[in-house]
Amino acid sequence: MQEYSSQAAYDRGEAVCVIGAGAAGLIAVKNLRENGFEVDCYERDTVLGGLWNPQNQHSPLYPNTHLVTSRSQTEIPDFPMPDDWPDYPSSAQMLTYLTAYAKHFGLSEHIWYGSEISHVEPVEGSRFEVVVKPAAGNAARRLRYAAVIIATGHHWSPNLPSYPGLDQFRGTVLHSSQLKDPSRLRGKHVLVIGGGNSGTDIACEAAVNAASCTHSVRRGSWHLPKYLGGEPGDFALARVGGRPKFLRRFLTDRLLKGPASLAARMGIVPEGKPFAEEPVRNGRYMEHVGDGSIRRRGEVARFDGFDVAFADGTEIRPDLVVLATGYRPKFTSVDPKLLGIQDESPYPNLYARMFSPKMETLAVAGLVEPGVGVLPIVHWQTHAIAHWLLVRKSDPERAANFRVQVRTEAEQDTAPAGTSPRHRLAVDAATYLASLGRIIDTLEQEPAK
Amino acid sequence: MSLAAWVRRARTPAPAPVAREYAYLEPADLFDMEIKDDPEASPVLCCTGDPAGAAAFQALWLKRIAGTGRYAASVSVRGQGGTPAADGGLEARAHDLVQAAVTVPRQTVLIGHKEGAAWAALAAGRYPAAALVLVSPQKVPKEPPTPVGGPPVLLVVAEAETQTKEVQAVADAYGIAPLTFAGSPDDVFKGAGAEGLLDAILSWLARKE
Ligand SMILES: Cc1cc2nc3c(=O)[nH]c(=O)nc-3n(C[C@H](O)[C@H](O)[C@H](O)COP(=O)(O)OP(=O)(O)OC[C@H]3O[C@@H](n4cnc5c(N)ncnc54)[C@H](O)[C@@H]3O)c2cc1C
Ligand SMILES: NC(=O)c1ccc[n+]([C@@H]2O[C@H](COP(=O)([O-])OP(=O)(O)OC[C@H]3O[C@@H](n4cnc5c(N)ncnc54)[C@H](OP(=O)(O)O)[C@@H]3O)[C@@H](O)[C@H]2O)c1
Repeated sequence: MQEYSSQAAYDRGEAVCVIGAGAAGLIAVKNLRENGFEVDCYERDTVLGGLWNPQNQHSPLYPNTHLVTSRSQTEIPDFPMPDDWPDYPSSAQMLTYLTAYAKHFGLSEHIWYGSEISHVEPVEGSRFEVVVKPAAGNAARRLRYAAVIIATGHHWSPNLPSYPGLDQFRGTVLHSSQLKDPSRLRGKHVLVIGGGNSGTDIACEAAVNAASCTHSVRRGSWHLPKYLGGEPGDFALARVGGRPKFLRRFLTDRLLKGPASLAARMGIVPEGKPFAEEPVRNGRYMEHVGDGSIRRRGEVARFDGFDVAFADGTEIRPDLVVLATGYRPKFTSVDPKLLGIQDESPYPNLYARMFSPKMETLAVAGLVEPGVGVLPIVHWQTHAIAHWLLVRKSDPERAANFRVQVRTEAEQDTAPAGTSPRHRLAVDAATYLASLGRIIDTLEQEPAK
Repeated sequence: MSLAAWVRRARTPAPAPVAREYAYLEPADLFDMEIKDDPEASPVLCCTGDPAGAAAFQALWLKRIAGTGRYAASVSVRGQGGTPAADGGLEARAHDLVQAAVTVPRQTVLIGHKEGAAWAALAAGRYPAAALVLVSPQKVPKEPPTPVGGPPVLLVVAEAETQTKEVQAVADAYGIAPLTFAGSPDDVFKGAGAEGLLDAILSWLARKE
C-alpha cells in the first residue's frame, strides 16, 4: 500500500478493516480471511498479542501473571494449545501461543503496526472511512472499507477510584497495570485495593515478596481454587453444565462446598449467588489469609499524609498502594452513538454483544466478560460476524430476517445480576454461547431457493 | 466444527498427552540447487494406519513432497512407531494428528492413509486444514464432520477398491468422485505405484492452490 494524502481516501472496495491485533483482532482476521474477505488490520502498538505482550505499552500484566482459565477452556477451538503445556499457562506462553497462531495462519502480512485508528466515519450508506493517525511528520491516511470490526480490548484504560487525601499521600500509588516489576514489592509495606483477580493475585505476590501485605476489599466475592474435584475448576464446572438439570444444582453445590466453607472460615461472605459474577480464581489466596501473610480489611475511607484510614476506623502506614480496581472500556475512534453508548456511561449497548445497533457493517469483537475463557467466545463471535457479512451481501432477504432475530436475542439478553458497574460487560457463558449458536445456525442455513 | 460440537468436546476430558514421534523435511534439507522453498505452497502432514507410523513416509514421500518446495512432515500417533501407546481410540488419534498439525509452521494439508484417513477426517473437523487428502480410507465414520474452513478434499483409492462400500460411503459423505491409482492400497510407500500416486496428489494440490 502506498502513502495517501489527507485529501484522497483510498478505496479498499470489499475489504474489511479490523482495529487491534490483540487476541480478538487476530481471531477476527483469521476467520474473515477463511471466509474469503480481504482484511487490513491496524494496530497502534508495534507488536501483536495485545495485553498478553509485555512490550505493548498498555499491557496490564503484573508479576507472574498466569491464566485464571484453564488451557482446554481458553484455547481457540480450531487451534489447540500444545497438550504438554500446564493446565494454567503463563502469560508468556499465552503470547507464544498467539504468535504461533498468527504465524500459522499467515496473519502478520495483513497487520499494519504503529497505526492507531483515530477516526471511523460512516460514508456512502454502509461503508466506512477510516483515518490512520499520522506517524510523526506524515499526513494522515484515509481508507474506505466495506465493514469495520473493532477489537481494541477493554483492559487498558484504568478505573481509578478517588479518596479524600489521595493526592497528598506521601507513599507511592500505582494502578495494578503499572506494577510490572516484582522487585517493586520487595521489603515494602504494601496495601492492595480491589478484590478482583488482579488484586487477589497481586496480594499473593506481595504476601511472599513484601514486608507486609494488607488487602482492602469493599465487599465479599466468590473465591474458587484453580482445581475442583481433582480437575481444573472451570472444566469441572463446565462438565456439570452438561449434565441433566436436576443433577446440576446438586453437583455444583458439592464442588463448591469445600471452597465455600473455607471462605467462610476466613470471614469472607460472598454477595449473591455463585455465578452471578465472575469468581476470583486463586488457590493460594486463602492459604495466605490463613497464615496471616495477607491481612484483609474493608473499604478505604481516606488517605492522610503517610497513613491510610479504613471505614472501620483502623489505620495503616503503607509504602506502596496498588490500586487493583479494574478497567473501564474506552472507544476512541468511533462515534459512541454507533455503539449504543448513552450519556456518560462508557458501556456500549450492542445487538448480541457484538453488532452495532446503528450500522449493519460495524461490529465489536471481545467486549464481554464471560467468566470463562474469552478466546473461544471471540472465535464464535467473529465466525458469526464473517458469516453475517457474507449473508448480507448475497441474500438481502435473509439478512433482514436475521436482523430481527439478533434484535430479539438482544432483548432476551438479561445480564447476570452483578452489583458493580463493571458487571455491565458480564454474560452468563452458557446462555451467551447458546444465543451465539442460534445466530450461527440461522446464518449458515442454506439460502431458500 | 459446529459450536455445539466444540461445547461437547470442551466438556470431555482430553486424551492423555504422549510424546509424539514427528519427522519432517524442508526443501532446503535436500541440498539441491534446483529446489526452492515455495512460501505460497502449503506444508503437508502425513499419517498412516501402518504401524510404522511417521517412518513409513521417510524413504519416498517426504523427499518427494519437499522436492516440490513444500515443508513435508509425518507423525506417529499413539502406539505407532516411536510414539508410546496410550488410551483412546479414533478420537485420541485424531487429537494426536491435530496436535501435530498446529506445530507445523503454517496451515497444513492433511494426508491420511488407510486408518490414518479416518484420523485425518476427524482432525479436519476441528482444524482448518489447507486441504484434506484421503488415501484408501478405512474406518472413516459414516457421517464424518464437515471440514472446517471448507478445504478442498481429495479421495484417492486403488483401482480394486473403487466399488467397495467403504469407498462409496466416503465419496458420498464428501460429495466427491474418487481418483484411482494403479497398485495395491498396502503398497503406497515405495515402487512405481507409490510414485504415481504421490505425483497425482501433488499435482492435484498444485492445481488447488
Ligand atoms: C491481567 C489479565 C488477565 C487475564 N486473564 C485471562 C484469562 O486467564 N483467561 C481469559 O480467557 N481471559 C483473560 N483475560 C481477558 C483478556 O482480556 C482476553 O483474554 C483477551 O486477551 C482480550 O483480547 P483483546 O484483543 O480483546 O484485547 P487486547 O489484548 O487489549 O488487544 C487490543 C489491541 O488493540 C489495540 N488498539 C487499541 N486501540 C486501538 C486503536 N485506536 N487503533 C489501533 N489499535 C488499537 C491495542 O494496542 C491492543 O493491541 C485477562 C485480562 C487481564 C487484564
Ligand atoms: N490471572 C488472570 O488471568 C487474570 C488476572 C487479572 C485479571 N483478569 C481478568 O481481567 C479483568 C479485570 O480484572 P481486575 O481484577 O483487574 O478488575 P475487576 O475484575 O474489575 O476488579 C476490580 C476490583 O476493584 C474493586 N473496585 C473497583 N472500583 C473500586 C473503588 N472505587 N473502590 C474500591 N474498590 C473498587 C472492585 O470491587 P467491586 O466488585 O465492588 O466493584 C473489584 O473488586 C477480569 O476479566 C479478570 O478476570 C485475569
